[in-house]
Amino acid sequence: MPITKYYPFEPEQAPLEYRGVPEINPHLCVGCGACVNVCPPDALIKIDDYENGTRKIVLDIGRCIRCARCEEVCPTRAIRLTREFEAASNDRICHVEIVELKLAKCRECGKYVDYTERQLQKVLSLIPPGILEFDRIREKLPLCRECKRLLTVVNATKFEEEMRE
Amino acid sequence: MIREFEEKFGPTLEKKVIAKNKVLYTLMVRREDFINMTKYILNRPNTRLFTMVGMDERNTEESFSVTYWFLDWKAQEVIGIRLYVPEEEPSFPSVGAIHKGAIWFEREVQDLLGLEAEGLPDPRRLILPDDWPEGVYPLREDFQYYHSPMGTRNYPYREPKNNSTVHPMGPYHVALDEPAHFRLFVKGEEIVDVDYRGFYSHRGIEKLARGRLNYNQVIFIAERVCGICGFAHSIAYAQAVEEAAKIEIPDRARYIRTILLEIERLHSHLLWIGVAAHLTGFDTGFMRSWLIREKVMELAERLTGNRKTYGLALVGGVRRDLLDYRKSLILETINKLRGEVNELVDMLLATKSFIKRCEGIGVLSKEKAREWDTAGPLARASGIDYDTRRDLPYAAYDELSFNVPVYKEGDVLARALVRIDEVKESISLLEQAVDAIPGGPVMAEFNEIPSWREGISAVEAPRGENTHYVMTGEINRIYRWRVKAPTYNNLQAVSDMLRGYTIGDAPLIVASIDPCYSCTERVQVVDIESGKAKVISFGGMGTCP
Repeated sequence: MPITKYYPFEPEQAPLEYRGVPEINPHLCVGCGACVNVCPPDALIKIDDYENGTRKIVLDIGRCIRCARCEEVCPTRAIRLTREFEAASNDRICHVEIVELKLAKCRECGKYVDYTERQLQKVLSLIPPGILEFDRIREKLPLCRECKRLLTVVNATKFEEEMRE
Repeated sequence: MIREFEEKFGPTLEKKVIAKNKVLYTLMVRREDFINMTKYILNRPNTRLFTMVGMDERNTEESFSVTYWFLDWKAQEVIGIRLYVPEEEPSFPSVGAIHKGAIWFEREVQDLLGLEAEGLPDPRRLILPDDWPEGVYPLREDFQYYHSPMGTRNYPYREPKNNSTVHPMGPYHVALDEPAHFRLFVKGEEIVDVDYRGFYSHRGIEKLARGRLNYNQVIFIAERVCGICGFAHSIAYAQAVEEAAKIEIPDRARYIRTILLEIERLHSHLLWIGVAAHLTGFDTGFMRSWLIREKVMELAERLTGNRKTYGLALVGGVRRDLLDYRKSLILETINKLRGEVNELVDMLLATKSFIKRCEGIGVLSKEKAREWDTAGPLARASGIDYDTRRDLPYAAYDELSFNVPVYKEGDVLARALVRIDEVKESISLLEQAVDAIPGGPVMAEFNEIPSWREGISAVEAPRGENTHYVMTGEINRIYRWRVKAPTYNNLQAVSDMLRGYTIGDAPLIVASIDPCYSCTERVQVVDIESGKAKVISFGGMGTCP
């Protein structure tokens, strides 16, 4: 009974349950950073560039421990663990996957805010239409933190004045 | 034990109940009593020093603390005695002076927190590298986890006495691919004394857990403490947090944990049987054993998605359910396994060269085994009838029936026989657990983890009990996490086992405890040769053989 296989000449496939190298589907990723928050070894990091208005989600499979926490928390199922287990490479950069997304722009001051355009679309698609209309959420998004604070103050003052009248 | 202890020492103590049968006493006055208390507990039958935790509590209690945890395994009770050590005078009476099993614990506290144990027989450095500067204590709260200071290299090795010569074994172990440095003092062929310098793979994960990770991330580094008994470590950690936060886990999760723990024991013991056969020059046994083990690894891969059962446990339950087809996979595998294991065992025990190399070698008497608080198959081969699965039940072990094999001989052969018996018990346990597994959810629901709660738990890993202590901190962090692996105790007993035997027996004797250096030493890699220190937080960890 031969036990030794002619690997790698005879390719070997991991079973369906196997947790292998993760992969981000850039079409689905909204750049929310949930995976970055849960990742135990910092294999996933988030880099925001407010000058150029981009957010990079960087996945380094060299640091990854294949725990699949990212897969569990991903709201759009963009990050998935594949059955791939051969990660050897001559070039370190082959281990890195970068997804670059556009940051949304503040409608008041024009600065970039700390979430992406896709995140915004995702949130708007999740909120029921009734609430969307009632709270006039579309008018409030996207706003940067400062403008949001300002708007709250302005609204509160307006409300107070209306009450006084 | 708790009732008698309270009758004797009760009035001077402040009591805190951690869980059912687990009590923590804080010594308020009269530190002199402390040694009497430990003596009283350790002189009782069936007690052991469970673990010892040093903590920097200057933020909350304005002093350091050391807590000695004792276990009475017949009464199933755990007692902790906490001693506060003021910052101005960082010393406490040494238990190591009266009980050998406490020596490493106290050397560790001395290294990491700078608390001096008065009267400790061997106060040399234990954990920190040879070139770590004096007076820098990495587990103190004012030390940042990414800091890596440099000093000059200096270590006071013991010199040979009475015309003996040094025969170095290591820093790379001959039998297991892990760093460990034994200095055998020999007269001719005979070993007369042993000095051990290890902790080359100390990685500082306890500090990392405090500095950077939240409680749900710690579990993934907990299971990477060891390359073999990783699941046992993750379960021990999860149980400690669950105890601290009073989380009840669902029955189904308890059974799944049991099944995976037994799968882990199976592959670990089969690995050890192979290594032992290899070291005795019986390579057919090694090949056969690892061939069987491969099937267990493949089963683990199908059940958890990883050959090594990694990534399945979380605080509050398990992450993957045991679907029906996976159940039948287990049954299929163990049906095949049973015959193959029997065949292997028959072959092994019928091999005269194997028996002759193991019989009467590395004898550890029951008294010695007790003195060093040895655990697991090593203790059971020396006649100590102690198994955490039965004596401090966790997961679903209290609902399953199994025997705890105990042998009196205390030699390498007895250790092999204990493990062989345990393999058979594991197969039966797996069958029972798969049969009895209840339905329901696999994850408990709970809110935020409360702060400043404590939990202590033990899991019987293949080598003995893994004891984890946890104190929860603020914002979902762990304030203190203490890992004690079984090899921590077992390795200390090796010096007694080697004495009187020859150099040729040494690798087999060391391997017979199934040592796991990375468990014992817990994670920060410092390259002593180049004098360059770097903290490697994740990759590049040492694994078991």
